[in-house]
Amino acid sequence: MKDDHIINIIESAPLGSLSESEIMLVRVHVESCPSCRRAYQAAELSAVLIKERTAEAIEPSPFFQTRVMAAWREQQVIEKVPAFWRLWKSAGALVSTLTVTTAALAAFSFLTPSSASLTSQETAVAASPYSAESVVLDRNQGEEQMSYDQVLNTIYVNDDEAR
Amino acid sequence: MEGWFTRIATNTCLNLIRSAKRRPELTVSDLSEAENNWLEEKLADAAGDLHRSVEHNLIAVDLADRLLEILSPEDRLALTLIDGEDASVKEVAEMTGWSESKVKVRAFRARKRVREAMEKLLATMGRRADLQLATANESKGD
Repeated sequence: MKDDHIINIIESAPLGSLSESEIMLVRVHVESCPSCRRAYQAAELSAVLIKERTAEAIEPSPFFQTRVMAAWREQQVIEKVPAFWRLWKSAGALVSTLTVTTAALAAFSFLTPSSASLTSQETAVAASPYSAESVVLDRNQGEEQMSYDQVLNTIYVNDDEAR
Repeated sequence: MEGWFTRIATNTCLNLIRSAKRRPELTVSDLSEAENNWLEEKLADAAGDLHRSVEHNLIAVDLADRLLEILSPEDRLALTLIDGEDASVKEVAEMTGWSESKVKVRAFRARKRVREAMEKLLATMGRRADLQLATANESKGD
């Protein structure tokens, strides 16, 4: 038998619903296993107590009846409202916000002037005060020193334009 | 219609139980003398005496309430319906709106917790009885 012995059998279903073979198995096992005997005894007592508890009829208080009726009426009101309206009530704010945001974004992207639509190459050329010729012949020497990046930009951008 | 109303009543019950406070654990010191005696009698009479007085029943009900208080409202509901009222897993699932596997898990967990709590109680009672016996023997020897 596994480490859990008969514990799984006595816990998986009510004791009263165990089959004959399962009860036999449990009874034979508890004869030789003290820990399982204690567990079985506890399970039997618990089962007796739960049966005693449920056998005792409980008269619900008028307060309970009122609460049930209130919950029932509330449920009926919910049922009467169409499903789409219930969905809209819960998610309407979110949907509205999303729609407004999307519309605003669309308006910004279509209506703004296209002044800043220069390509990166044009931007580089505009930013550089040097021509390829002046760079190759090093005519500006002595005025201000060009950076390495400015030199490369000037030469290669002009090459690309020629192609 | 009947199932729908049952579910509403079940949920109202659950809400009421949830709003009530519960004890995290049950110890022997929580038990009254009558509850202690009930357990001892039951232990002595393993075959189960069917002849019981009304008072005896009331003690059992009170003890059962204390034992069930250690469970969550949902676990308690699953256990009392399945083990106490002999409802099937499917019926409980319909009553509560839970899936059948959820009902099974809740009942299994509740059964385990109740059994463990009871085992603990019995062990404590057993130790106490042993101690009393040893004290009695010592006083006899003196």
